[in-house]
Amino acid sequence: MLQRMSVFSLCLWLAMGTLLAYSDEVPRLTFAQLVDSLKANLEVTQKIKSYNGKEVEIQGFIIPAGPPDLSFFLLSRVSAIGNYCCELSTGQDETVYVYTAKGAQLFYDPLRVYKVRGLFEAGVHTDPAHGVSLFRLRQAHVEEAVGAKIMKIGDTPAAPR
Amino acid sequence: MSLWTIAWKYLCGRRLASALTAVSVALGVSLILATFLLTRGIRAGFIAGTTDYSLIVGAKSSPTQLVLGTIFRLDVATPNIPYTVYEQLQDDERVERAVPVALGDAYQGFHYVGTTTDYFATAPWRRKNFSVAAGRFWDDDPPDQPSYEAVLGAEVAQRTGLQIGEAFYEGEEMAERPLRAVGILRPTHSADDRTIFFSLASYWDMNEVARAMAIKPLTTVLVRPKRLSDLTHLHREFNVNPETQAALPSAVLLTIFNLLSVAEEVLRFVLGAVVLVVLLYLFVALYSAMLERRREIATMRALGARRMTILVIVLLESCLIALIGGIIGLLGGHGVAVLGAHLLSQRGGLALAPFTVSTVHPLLLVGVILLGACAGLLPAVLAYRTEVAENLAPLS
Repeated sequence: MLQRMSVFSLCLWLAMGTLLAYSDEVPRLTFAQLVDSLKANLEVTQKIKSYNGKEVEIQGFIIPAGPPDLSFFLLSRVSAIGNYCCELSTGQDETVYVYTAKGAQLFYDPLRVYKVRGLFEAGVHTDPAHGVSLFRLRQAHVEEAVGAKIMKIGDTPAAPR
Repeated sequence: MSLWTIAWKYLCGRRLASALTAVSVALGVSLILATFLLTRGIRAGFIAGTTDYSLIVGAKSSPTQLVLGTIFRLDVATPNIPYTVYEQLQDDERVERAVPVALGDAYQGFHYVGTTTDYFATAPWRRKNFSVAAGRFWDDDPPDQPSYEAVLGAEVAQRTGLQIGEAFYEGEEMAERPLRAVGILRPTHSADDRTIFFSLASYWDMNEVARAMAIKPLTTVLVRPKRLSDLTHLHREFNVNPETQAALPSAVLLTIFNLLSVAEEVLRFVLGAVVLVVLLYLFVALYSAMLERRREIATMRALGARRMTILVIVLLESCLIALIGGIIGLLGGHGVAVLGAHLLSQRGGLALAPFTVSTVHPLLLVGVILLGACAGLLPAVLAYRTEVAENLAPLS
């Protein structure tokens, strides 16, 4: 009897642990949300600023605008190589400046969507090496996003968890 | 006498066999180290030698050709684009700096590059700094008054022996229009060390066809946007244009790195096979040595040596061979890497640092000693189990 109770309580702890781990998952921001947050004079909404300093996940295409060790790159809604035939640029700022801790070791594919997690910053910032930016992810980690969907302008963004 | 001394004396007793075994270990280690240093060095060389500009605009061709030709001078130049492309970029309010580049012939294998003084200008976003070790930079002369003044890359000056003020040319048709060295650059550890720079006016005046052209030709334009977020728009605009293409240098290099990693995967399998062969060779050498010495071991045991002492002596022998082979291998690996780096620098324009010492070196040496101990384990156990009575029986 005692043994059965121990097994039951162990299962309960494991289930609770899984639930807690799930609830710890970082919120995902979409490019649609980022573009929607833009106001006049390079200002961004308070709602998007509320994520400042928090770890978030953004999915997009890698544009290697910095050195090829990917210590810095742009994350964009649109691929650097594809989509010439079917999608026009919106003219809005659809890029996030990504700073990785030690550079990223990955098999770079310009047509692949990557999942980037890092500390989010919104608002104008000028960096001598990379110029003016609106959205940034610092201490970022990159991995491939399998089956990811990039939110286009006009799509209904999923509410961040 | 310590166990180390006994193991050493055993090795010295069969000098040739021990030396050959150590050499085989050394060859394996040098192959592994040289492969590691060169593959890592090629990546590091590309990263160090790349441009600070985010975009290259040129004629329609392969992006790899555009980047390797313009930045590393490892490929033939792409076809020409009109000078108006540069003017258009200069007038574009999204562009912070546009630098025209015209790739030409070569002097003793060192490429000619026609450009403006912007090529050498500093900026907060530039890692690379150009300064002259001797002489001065040339000035941007007007198109109808070419100065024919040239600035030499550090390696050009070193290998051609050209001095400041000296005139030079290659090819009969250039005898009337010789270039004159006015400056020598400090080393930049990039393809620019192997380049001869002069003004666009001189470049156009050197060429009969370009002299007659109303709109002068260029090969590429290096572009730095004011905001990097405009990069995607600029990239797209020049690629949609039927005459031009734009390439992101880092994207091209990352594609090259992808190919390199495939080659590295294959090399890893080959090196794994090499390690296995060396291990087997070490095992066979120690095993046959142990079989030859059974009588000696039995004598040692009869004189009071414990089984464990015999086991440790054989293990120490294998570790000593691995250590000697490992040290020679590390030196040999650097030697091969130096040769490879020299060839890559001469033929590929990549600056490699083959003397870099990292945590890999001690790890490799410890790994070799451990593998040596593993290879010596079975012979050591056999020596441990040697029966005194059986092996001390009269030979006749």
